Amino acid sequence: MAKDTSFLEKSRQVEPPREAYKWIGKDMKRVEDPRLLAGKGIYLDDVQLPKMAHAAVLRSPHAHARILSVDTSKAKNLPGVILVMTGAEAAEVTGPTASFASPPCPQYCLAVERVRHVGEAVAAVVAQSRYLAEDAIDLIEVEYEELPVVVDPLEAIKSTGDAVLHPERGDSNVAIERTLRFGPVDEDFANADQVIERKLRWPRVGAVPLETCGAVASYDEGTGKFTIHANTSMYNYVGWLIAVSLNVPSHRVNIIPTLAGGSFGSKLFLHKVPTLAATLARASGRPVKFLEDRLDNLMNCDNHASDRVYNAKLAIKDGMMTGISFHVVDDYGAYLQFGYGTHGNALSQASGPYKLSSLEMNLVAVFTNKCQQGAYRGFGSEVMNFLVERLADAAIEELGDDPLEFRRRNFIKPEEFPYRIPTGNLYDSGDYPKVLDEAAELLDYPGWRKKQEAARKEGRYIGIGVATCQERSVFSATEFWFLNPDEAQGFTLTSSPEGVSVKIDPTGKAMVTLHAPFWGNSPETMATQILAEHLTMDPADIGISYSDTDSGLNGTGPGGSRYTVMIAGALTGAAGKIREKLLTVGGHMLEASVEDLELADGRVSVKGAPEHGKTIAEVALHAHYFRLSMPDDPLLTSGIDATHVYDHPLTTLPNGDRTDLGVFYPIMGHMCHMPVIEVDIETGKIEFLDYVAVHDCGTMVNPMTLKGHIRGGTASGIGTAMYEHFYYDEQGQLLNASFADYLIPTLHELPVDLRTGHVETLSPFTEFGIKGGGEGGRMGAPPALAAAVEDALRPFGVKIDELPLSPRRLRSLIRAAASSKV
Amino acid sequence: MKPSAFHYEKPSSLDGLLDVMGKHGEAARILAGGQSLVPMMNFRLATPEVLIDINGLSELDYIRQDGDSLSIGALTRHNVIYDSPLVAELSPLMAEAYKHVAHTTIRNRGTIGGNLSHADPSSELPAVCICLEGHMILRSKQGTREVPAGEFFLGALETAIQPGEFLAEIKIPVRKPGVGSAFEEVSPRRGDFATTAVAATLQIDGGICQTARIAHAAVADRPARIESAEAVLEGSALDKARINQAAEIAASETEPSLINYHGDADYKRDLLRALTKRALQRASENSVN
Repeated sequence: MAKDTSFLEKSRQVEPPREAYKWIGKDMKRVEDPRLLAGKGIYLDDVQLPKMAHAAVLRSPHAHARILSVDTSKAKNLPGVILVMTGAEAAEVTGPTASFASPPCPQYCLAVERVRHVGEAVAAVVAQSRYLAEDAIDLIEVEYEELPVVVDPLEAIKSTGDAVLHPERGDSNVAIERTLRFGPVDEDFANADQVIERKLRWPRVGAVPLETCGAVASYDEGTGKFTIHANTSMYNYVGWLIAVSLNVPSHRVNIIPTLAGGSFGSKLFLHKVPTLAATLARASGRPVKFLEDRLDNLMNCDNHASDRVYNAKLAIKDGMMTGISFHVVDDYGAYLQFGYGTHGNALSQASGPYKLSSLEMNLVAVFTNKCQQGAYRGFGSEVMNFLVERLADAAIEELGDDPLEFRRRNFIKPEEFPYRIPTGNLYDSGDYPKVLDEAAELLDYPGWRKKQEAARKEGRYIGIGVATCQERSVFSATEFWFLNPDEAQGFTLTSSPEGVSVKIDPTGKAMVTLHAPFWGNSPETMATQILAEHLTMDPADIGISYSDTDSGLNGTGPGGSRYTVMIAGALTGAAGKIREKLLTVGGHMLEASVEDLELADGRVSVKGAPEHGKTIAEVALHAHYFRLSMPDDPLLTSGIDATHVYDHPLTTLPNGDRTDLGVFYPIMGHMCHMPVIEVDIETGKIEFLDYVAVHDCGTMVNPMTLKGHIRGGTASGIGTAMYEHFYYDEQGQLLNASFADYLIPTLHELPVDLRTGHVETLSPFTEFGIKGGGEGGRMGAPPALAAAVEDALRPFGVKIDELPLSPRRLRSLIRAAASSKV
Repeated sequence: MKPSAFHYEKPSSLDGLLDVMGKHGEAARILAGGQSLVPMMNFRLATPEVLIDINGLSELDYIRQDGDSLSIGALTRHNVIYDSPLVAELSPLMAEAYKHVAHTTIRNRGTIGGNLSHADPSSELPAVCICLEGHMILRSKQGTREVPAGEFFLGALETAIQPGEFLAEIKIPVRKPGVGSAFEEVSPRRGDFATTAVAATLQIDGGICQTARIAHAAVADRPARIESAEAVLEGSALDKARINQAAEIAASETEPSLINYHGDADYKRDLLRALTKRALQRASENSVN
């Protein structure tokens, strides 16, 4: 809406961006890689405990049914079976699983009384081996009474009676309906020269990581304490909620993270699997491993993503976008673990990179008989990008405008930051024209336009897509609840901190403890490069480990492209304390005052006389073992160590009527994607001819790993745009619950060389000016590909309103267009 | 996704194989490369009581020319066939089709006999065998019989193999001079089962098509020849219009019944048209002596 510099004064940035760095900004090889690439990483399935048993679950074949009876007698009698547990039996000892929805939407680790989607867990078996557990599963007899199945989200709005999934929430499958208006919506639409309308359909896809969700849980009857190894995140943020489910105090549960073999958001506070494993361990008296198999994960993993139907309008005045108004129905599936967070998230960048004055959202969230939604790379904002860019492209078409010029004209200008958008969120910084120019140059945009024209004369259909999208980074907690209804606000938390512990051992090596897990990104590399920069150390002298919940500080963990920014903040705080101690001890050793000393090149030395100095190792040895050589100063305790918890760099609260959501996602990245594709109009197949992605996520800590994020994220985006789709039939059966039919693009389906570029506009709010970049590619590729295909098929007048762009769908559009022309 | 319990037998000779097959009857399944059977067992879609592992029977692993035939032992791995210069020379259609068969790790273990016995209607090789009018050599205690490929595939995952029999060899007529061929496929991703595939051979003499063979895969419950399209080609000069006519017939006179998420009937017709046209075009181009 407007430039707003008032927040700059509130910036808590301690380390401003520098002219030059020693370690930040370098293509350092990942410190995680040696063990991961050699197959030596310890994943969940590598965890073996003495007397450990194995669990398997019985899954519902029905999408919606009452459980009338469960007969486990045959299963119990199978040799090798230790325990068979039904949902009703589990509910006697373990309460509902963690949920952030308000009003609540209870879910249990094993379904009680009713199953609400195919694949929902009904009973579990613990046996000597997973094989035997699965044999026993086949012997459990369940009597179901089938209930009406709701699959279509638009039909779900009308459900009543037995078709309602959660009758305790009222006689409707509408979980919430909420309208929010920001800025002069009516005025903008009344004054518009053109109003562009589009109906859009975003498909249900999921993160589907290589490693599924799992936990190894044990219960110590002597101490009454659970130990749970799990590949979850957020254990140091909300892990205690698992103890609540287990009906024990939180200090009776210790959660130990294992390496996650990919998450992409899907293991964001994974709670159902650890809760189940712990419940089974307590009941069986044995440590229990439960690792989902692929069927478990695809049907019941709680990580299906946004599934939305949009009716959207864009107001245009004098060639400028002024307002967006949309009605969205989102199919959340059978439960609501993260509330309406994905729509809260989307409102952080709802006007894209453009200068809009108003925005209106009418949200209808519905329950259907499908797996519930969870987090996946973008958390709802990737869909908002698709909506905004599809509207922009529709306006360009309608106005006969140029895709680059229209965007350039509508962009927020570099001098207008920090910039508040209509929803209230702040964009900290950006240079959108520069990103667009760099992409156009890297691609040779004019050259490809010429090639496109020449190809069209030969009957070939080449298309060039342009998408200029936001990547909000560093989530804060308010997005999880500010859409909750007024009468059920829920737990309105406002913290999303990240802690770190650093110690320098007596030999001068640094040990860093992270309070969030490894889940496929590069937290160890980030922490190593940033700490090496701070302490002028050799990265080889820095070691990284991960805390459990017993020892953990606050740690929200990766998610919402936050980790690099947040760990940089935590390390800046901790390194400041370490540096101070090094200088103080060094001062005593050198008989110099602290003001005259500096830390440089791994030494504490006298400013201007570097030969008068001590190495970090010498200072550390002194600090650890020679207490009596120093004055009796209470600050000079033995050793060198520090912890620091860094809070979100800039969050403000939403107002009461939600006409201003506050600042909640201000560290704003940006990207421009330009794919060039060719459509085989006879088969509907799409081939990549080129692909350029230019990103801006502020100061780059490691350009090489960032490039990996962009390429991997773009591959995810190509999957969403062209291949993936969880497809439920009318009976609620998930028809493609295997990797034979759920199509993840492989290397063969991706551009041969995805060319990347970077622009660095530095955040005034974060340490070193870093912004997040972890979700990037997936947030830009879908609108870029939709635009490219629409461009290729322009001679047919085909409109791309729905993903995925499967060859079947393209052929059907081409066929319809060709027959309507006759 | 773990299989139910099974007994395991590993015969060391063909006679031994027939013995254990006789002993276990229909309770047993033959394990060759395991690339279809093992996933089905893990999903518990197949729950054989006995697995008979034939991987020790090297006498079923060969590629050789027998006069006018190319003979391939049932246990020959896909990649061995794919890489075979003899196959490339004697059956260019089969060699080309292999470009579409799965991924190299699957081809390293998967066998041609296992593939054909499994009879997945979306698989490439059954259509190739039908197009080339190959024969399946089946063996049992009673002896050996030859079944034409056109009579071998009876439905989805259904073949003419009788209890007590196993597929021992595939016989393909060696390409004759002047015969051109082409294999065209659209699949969701590279290496996936076909959404639709078309195999074609053309024998052209003096610009006139003497013989045309066109077969489809992934359109119905089994691969089949498209004889009405073949008929308009045979005896005619092969120009663009004639090829388009055959493609149109292939699309309009075939009733797609193997419908799934990746391909509905309309789309499969579109593919039959496009792929038949392309296959015929290329087959006519490479039909030089």
